[in-house]
Amino acid sequence: MSGEPPSRGNRSVLLTLFRYEIKRLIRDTRTVLIAIVAPLVLIPGMIFVMRAVERSEERRLDDTVYEYAVTGDEAEWGRAVLAAALEREANDPDTTTGAVRFEERADADADSLLGAGAIHVVVEALSPETYERIRAEEAAEADTETESELSLPTLRLRHRGQSDFSRNAAERLGNRMAEVRSELRDSVYRAGGFPVAIQQVAAVTTENTASAQREGGALLGLALTPFLLFLMLSGGSIMAVDTISGEKERGTLETLLTTAAARSDIVKAKMMGIIAVGISVAAINILNLLLYLVLGVVELPERFVIALSPMDPLLILILFLPLTVLVASALLLLSGYAKSYKEYQLYLFPLLFVFLVPSLVAMLPGMDLRSAIVLFPIAGIGVAVREIMIGEYDWTFLMLAFASTGGAAWWGARLTERTLSMERLISASDLDEADLTGGPALFPRHVLRWFGVMWVTFLVVSLWFGEALGVRGQIVVNILIIMFGGSLLMIRLYGLDAKTVFAFRTVHPAVWLAVLIGIPSGYIVGIGLSGLVNTYLFPVPQNVLEAFGESLLGDDMPLWQLVIMLTVIPGIFEELTFRGALLHGLRKTFGPVAVCLVAGAIFGLFHVSLFRILPTAYLGVLFAAVVLMTGSIFPAMLWHFGNNFIALVPLQLGWVTGETPVPWWAYAAGLAGLVVTFSIVWTVRTPYPDLKEKRPKEFL
Amino acid sequence: MVESMIQVEGLEKSFWDESRGEIRAVDGIDFDCRPGEVFGLLGANGAGKTTTLRMLATILKPTGGRASLNGHDVFSEPEAVRRSLGFFSASTALYPRLTGRETLEFFARINQYPSERVPERVGALIERFGIAEYANARVEKLSSGMKQKISIARTIAHDPPVLIFDEPTVGLDVLAALEMQRVVGELRDEGKTIILSTHIMSEAEKLCDRIGIIDRGRMLALGTLDEHRRATGQHYLEDIFVHFVMANLSDDEGATADIGSPSTSETIR
Repeated sequence: MSGEPPSRGNRSVLLTLFRYEIKRLIRDTRTVLIAIVAPLVLIPGMIFVMRAVERSEERRLDDTVYEYAVTGDEAEWGRAVLAAALEREANDPDTTTGAVRFEERADADADSLLGAGAIHVVVEALSPETYERIRAEEAAEADTETESELSLPTLRLRHRGQSDFSRNAAERLGNRMAEVRSELRDSVYRAGGFPVAIQQVAAVTTENTASAQREGGALLGLALTPFLLFLMLSGGSIMAVDTISGEKERGTLETLLTTAAARSDIVKAKMMGIIAVGISVAAINILNLLLYLVLGVVELPERFVIALSPMDPLLILILFLPLTVLVASALLLLSGYAKSYKEYQLYLFPLLFVFLVPSLVAMLPGMDLRSAIVLFPIAGIGVAVREIMIGEYDWTFLMLAFASTGGAAWWGARLTERTLSMERLISASDLDEADLTGGPALFPRHVLRWFGVMWVTFLVVSLWFGEALGVRGQIVVNILIIMFGGSLLMIRLYGLDAKTVFAFRTVHPAVWLAVLIGIPSGYIVGIGLSGLVNTYLFPVPQNVLEAFGESLLGDDMPLWQLVIMLTVIPGIFEELTFRGALLHGLRKTFGPVAVCLVAGAIFGLFHVSLFRILPTAYLGVLFAAVVLMTGSIFPAMLWHFGNNFIALVPLQLGWVTGETPVPWWAYAAGLAGLVVTFSIVWTVRTPYPDLKEKRPKEFL
Repeated sequence: MVESMIQVEGLEKSFWDESRGEIRAVDGIDFDCRPGEVFGLLGANGAGKTTTLRMLATILKPTGGRASLNGHDVFSEPEAVRRSLGFFSASTALYPRLTGRETLEFFARINQYPSERVPERVGALIERFGIAEYANARVEKLSSGMKQKISIARTIAHDPPVLIFDEPTVGLDVLAALEMQRVVGELRDEGKTIILSTHIMSEAEKLCDRIGIIDRGRMLALGTLDEHRRATGQHYLEDIFVHFVMANLSDDEGATADIGSPSTSETIR
């Protein structure tokens, strides 16, 4: 539905709308208290309590009189070293915390006292022979081999790591004793003259040429964008949730829309409201944090200095501007899309990810502005802000970052304005036949949820149990149990017809020829695509790629098993899952092109490694397109099998290696091959039945 | 002064339903309203009354035909249309966290009532509807009767020449419904042009100068109560209504309808 004819709007109406938006929010005492005031009071309270506990604990550690016992065949020597160490501890003017007192306990069975917690530390003074013997015994017990060391008398401090006191005692005592030893050694060296040339004992030091400001800037620059973004999103949400979904739920939206206020003014006022609240919440939290810094409740890391030129905050502010608008648009869009508060909250969580994940890109090691990342909204800003904080101004790229996010913001704002003129806001009766009839009618609406659950299960299994399962286990669990099992479960629960869901239909013979051309063509183009992605989008280090290859092939399986596991099973069961169940579920939700893209993207997501998502999604799109055009799953099965086969077998037989270069004409031939493939398939097409009907133009 | 306050010609609205395809909620409706008259739209639930009125209020966009209000076209001048219009329905709620006074001020302002006269206007409305006592309390704290008064006052906050009341008495008790009817009569006496949709026959009989009978998106008959009586030979509006609806049904399905069967008039109520 196209909106109203454009109007210039009315400034005083806009201001009235904005004023009342804010007024209504502020009147919502509970929201304001919980969302804004509570964190301000709770966080300092928590920090304060934690600091207090920490201090009292530190004091307890300092005040305790630590007890130790001295054992071993060189106990007398040990006591002498100890005495020197304790003297240092008592008289050292450098210590920041007060000196700690130690007391010796003379007892026969020091180890059991230590075990019982009656003393804090046992100092073992051992002659070289005894030390060797003890070590050999311990090694035999632990079944490891000992490396021979210089034969020296040894002081061993035994403590219990689970007790703070015992650990603290051992640490302090150990440090003091090491200092004593080192001093002694130095004086011996000096007294005897160096036995070797001075160059042979030369020290190595590293020197950091960056100023403290730059380092501080780099650190803060990483965190600033995600931090501010999070505050904006959570703060703006306070307003956004109330602003359309709330109005819808209370029925005030219709009242508002029947007034003379222009739709554009209503949207603008709501956006201004979200921005104002988001910025206020962000500002309040930052001031709060600064206050704690000043009061000393929170401490910055040592040497943390930030020096910004007066221009920098301005520049950062300008860069954040489109981000703010983008956040407001997204929240408003969400609010317009959600039918109720509850739905809004449901959608907010994924939205947080959509925003926060790209903003975290700046944290990737080695990521700088001069890469394709600058073209990604949000991510570009994140990297740009970091660059400014470390004092590097790459103007072209700063402008590119601004332009990409600015473009997204403009597009978002327009989209949002259109939502308000959407009739769905008012007229949707929300009478869903599917809810009443259930079964097959309900399946299309639940299918994405099912795949969501399957994806999480898949991810958990792959990340946590991947190694334990091995390749065979992973394929059985992931493909056969999670994916195919899930599909069968859906068919059963929704009473679907398996033959229809899995698209078991015969095809025109020419399709087989087309697929045979498509297999090598699609594969070559896929290689080119991964190359582009790896080079320009997400640079993947070579060793990661190699490790991946080994992880697949590391189990020393014979070739025939690899073929079954990596080509036949995926070819059949991944197709049944993604081009069968998923495609069937999505067929009416989106138009054919979007179905291919969505089904492809989901297929991509089921391949854990980040760098595989795009190439597999690309394959998924190809397979889905073939299924939609032929109405049958069999060509896609053949293609999938063939693709995996030529990816696996030549490599296994050593005909090619990962480094074998692909000439440019191969890519061109691949692209041409794909065109031929789809031309043939299109010519003899027997489309997938029961697709979404095209909405007539007047209803758009 | 325009001759017709509201002009509707061949107005259509189709919705698209993913499973059922095109649904014609309003299927070519014509009528016009003269200044100062109360025009009644009478029809069963789902007949297309609300959709028609929402198109006039420019909340929905017609898929065919033309309509204008106070000389402004609903397609090209939606804001001017809404400025001339007060829209009241059972689903137009009030902001719970605003007071009655703020509500009136807010709606007067966003409907572009001259800003220097807003306080005066709000004061007058508060007095007229007798809401002074609770004008400074938040709407959420008020009883439904009090809310109804503020809601009506809100509808006319900017003193529009045209008022649309879409099933205004739905869900009200007898006294509140009578109060609503009294207000509508009063507004008519002040010279406002009013469209009133209802499925309650007595309400239409009592208030409306002319009545349009609407069924399944089509206007079946249009005229004064007397004209309807002469055309159908029935006296009561209820019977007149059933007469037209049954005729429409038999037109569509080619079946002879049992006119005036009790079960049919039950469903209309």
